[in-house]
Amino acid sequence: MAGNIIEVTNLEKRFGQNLVLKNITFNVQRSEKVVIIGPSGGGKSTLLRCLNRLEDDYQGIVKFNDQNIMLADAGKIRSIRQKIGMVFQQFNLFPNKTALENITFAPVKLKLLSQQRAIDRAHRLLSQVGLDNKANAYPQSLSGGQQQRVAIARSLAMNPSVLLFDEPTSALDPEMVGDVLAVMTDLADKGMTMIIVTHEMSFAQKVADKILFMDQGIIADQGDPHYIFHETKNPRTRAFLSKVMI
Amino acid sequence: MFSFLKHYYPVFVQGTAQTILISIIGILIGIILGLFFVTLRRSKVKLCQYIARVYIAIVRGTPSMIQVMLIYYGLSKVLDIPQIQFLGSGLDRMIPGSIALGINSGAYTAEIFRSGLISIPRGQTEAGLSLGLSDHTTLFSIVMPQAVRNILPALGNEFITLIKESSVLFYIGVQEVTAQALGVGGTLYNFIPPLLVAAIIYFVLTFSMSQVISLLERRLGTAYLKVNQEE
Ligand SMILES: Nc1ncnc2c1ncn2[C@@H]1O[C@H](COP(=O)(O)OP(=O)(O)O)[C@@H](O)[C@H]1O
Ligand SMILES: [Mg+2]
Repeated sequence: MAGNIIEVTNLEKRFGQNLVLKNITFNVQRSEKVVIIGPSGGGKSTLLRCLNRLEDDYQGIVKFNDQNIMLADAGKIRSIRQKIGMVFQQFNLFPNKTALENITFAPVKLKLLSQQRAIDRAHRLLSQVGLDNKANAYPQSLSGGQQQRVAIARSLAMNPSVLLFDEPTSALDPEMVGDVLAVMTDLADKGMTMIIVTHEMSFAQKVADKILFMDQGIIADQGDPHYIFHETKNPRTRAFLSKVMI
Repeated sequence: MFSFLKHYYPVFVQGTAQTILISIIGILIGIILGLFFVTLRRSKVKLCQYIARVYIAIVRGTPSMIQVMLIYYGLSKVLDIPQIQFLGSGLDRMIPGSIALGINSGAYTAEIFRSGLISIPRGQTEAGLSLGLSDHTTLFSIVMPQAVRNILPALGNEFITLIKESSVLFYIGVQEVTAQALGVGGTLYNFIPPLLVAAIIYFVLTFSMSQVISLLERRLGTAYLKVNQEE
């Protein structure tokens, strides 16, 4: 369907005998912000990882810009991954590279940008996430919140058409969470397509166009923030929310 | 006690050069085989894993002296290497000898590489792949450089062991330092002084190797472990 960047149809994924995703179907439109919530172990990370085929061997169809990514060959999947940025809970910055080098590495290696243009872009992205003064710092010397913002800048350097966030603030000290969420809110305002797994409910309420509640491998409930937070009658959603909202 | 050196020092120089040469070739072959077998070991294909395991188990479970002899006698049956003399030994002995050292070292090197790769969190690979880099680029440009830094001490140990173990090539007639020292001992009817000289030479070689390794460690290590002072 036109306008959909990602289409997931009847996705099923098992690890051995363990069926961790069942019958997952949803679409993501250009510029849409989809937030995925749900108890841990529910399959949220696995679902994100199927979208850029970090997880292989699943049943069903995942389409990115109308291409079935399961059928993509090695070269094709690489070019698809360039367009699907991923931000991890543990940041996963390259510890032996500076903030700047973390950002320039892939675009230069993939010959998308010259060294100089990659550096220019990296400085611009670092300013965008409020860290241009840390360009030459190694990850180890940055706080968690700063590392996560560099990781976001690293994804943005590939000029992605969608960004996946897997609990980007869950590994952070509480005082760092706001900075990272501010960067994400800014991206949302600029029209970036985003799929975000998070436990930050007020953030979800603010930026989400659509919230998926995942529990035990299925999308147990979904709707806009108003529906999920105020209207749903689904007992699992309500039980989960009452736990995380305190 | 060491007055014989006046007369015999060229023999020791030649033996030392021979030891250095076979060690370098052995180390290089070991690294290549190590990379090859660690790739097999980590392959998804069961047969590849199995081949790597068998190679590693055999090398680790048998004496290096027997390995060297088997490879020497085996190779001389199938290959016709000219008996050209180089640094006091025939190439027909040096080449199989260095290959044997490399085959032996490759098994240990493969295991060291494997431990290094395991030491790098899976997230590094996933970050590389999610940026659209190939498996190959991710492995060689992101994971390996970090792994190498972690395994440098173990790799250094292996190189030092190989330098010392290269003395087993004496059994197939390679005129390395040990062989030369024994030869000199035979003519002097006194083995202790030349063997002491050989021991000192080995010590200098292994000590230099360990210095090179710790220099590399400092080079590769401090860059990002030290908290960056500047803003
Ligand atoms: N690589 C894996 N091998 C086996 N089981 C896995 C693997 N990754 C995740 N799982 C299992 O899949 C289920 C869903 O995990 P996950 O997607 O991480 O959930 P969430 O992100 O919602 O916490 C869990 O039961 C987990 O144990
Ligand atoms: Mg998770």
